[in-house]
Amino acid sequence: MQNRLKEPSGPLSPRLTIYRWHVGMLASIGHRASGLALILFVPIYLWLLRGMTGSEDNFAAVFNWLHSGLGKVSIWLVGISLIYHFCNGIRFIAIDAGWGESRESMRRSARVVFVFTVLVAVLLAVML
Amino acid sequence: MRVVKEPGAAHSGLSDWYWQRLSAVVLALLLPLPFFLLVAVYGGAVDQQGLLDILDHVVSRLLHTILILALIIHAYMGLKVILEDYVHTIAWRIPLIGAMLVMMATFGIWWLAMIWAWI
Repeated sequence: MQNRLKEPSGPLSPRLTIYRWHVGMLASIGHRASGLALILFVPIYLWLLRGMTGSEDNFAAVFNWLHSGLGKVSIWLVGISLIYHFCNGIRFIAIDAGWGESRESMRRSARVVFVFTVLVAVLLAVML
Repeated sequence: MRVVKEPGAAHSGLSDWYWQRLSAVVLALLLPLPFFLLVAVYGGAVDQQGLLDILDHVVSRLLHTILILALIIHAYMGLKVILEDYVHTIAWRIPLIGAMLVMMATFGIWWLAMIWAWI
């Protein structure tokens, strides 16, 4: 058992399996999920960058891919991940600085971040 | 600052915390820029020549370099925390963190090469 930190039957994460769901926890999980999505987009971005800085045909291929269904969904997903991670990151730094640290204001700011992200998601979906 | 008497095997808890926030501030300023550029290309506001003029400028090369470094620091620490929280088997966790580091370094070098036009 030396190579395991926890019992196999133990919880995956207290946040996922034990604690009661509430908005602050959802904000924290969302920060991880959006961060992971942003990391996964980096290889796609490099592929796009390589195409865009290549020949004219490469540029046209990237342009067409961006305007395809998959391209639009990718831009939309990375856009909402970015705006969520950005806003919630500022929220986290504010909390670290001791600003809005009370339970009530942490929940309120989490709700503000969620509502703003949904608004941006709708706006981006309309624009793309 | 108060000194913790028994900081554990890491000897200091401040370093990761501090770097994660420092890189976060850099990314908050720089990461929206490539997204705007991508949307500008998508919308047709920037054509290929315009894009190359922007990317080849020495200022954007320097900003891009800072962005890549901050992104690798931030992504490494964030993903490490996620792996430490959800992968409990040490025999899996350490190779995964190592593989992640190698992949990030590879993509980082590839990205730098593209920005400084080595390839």
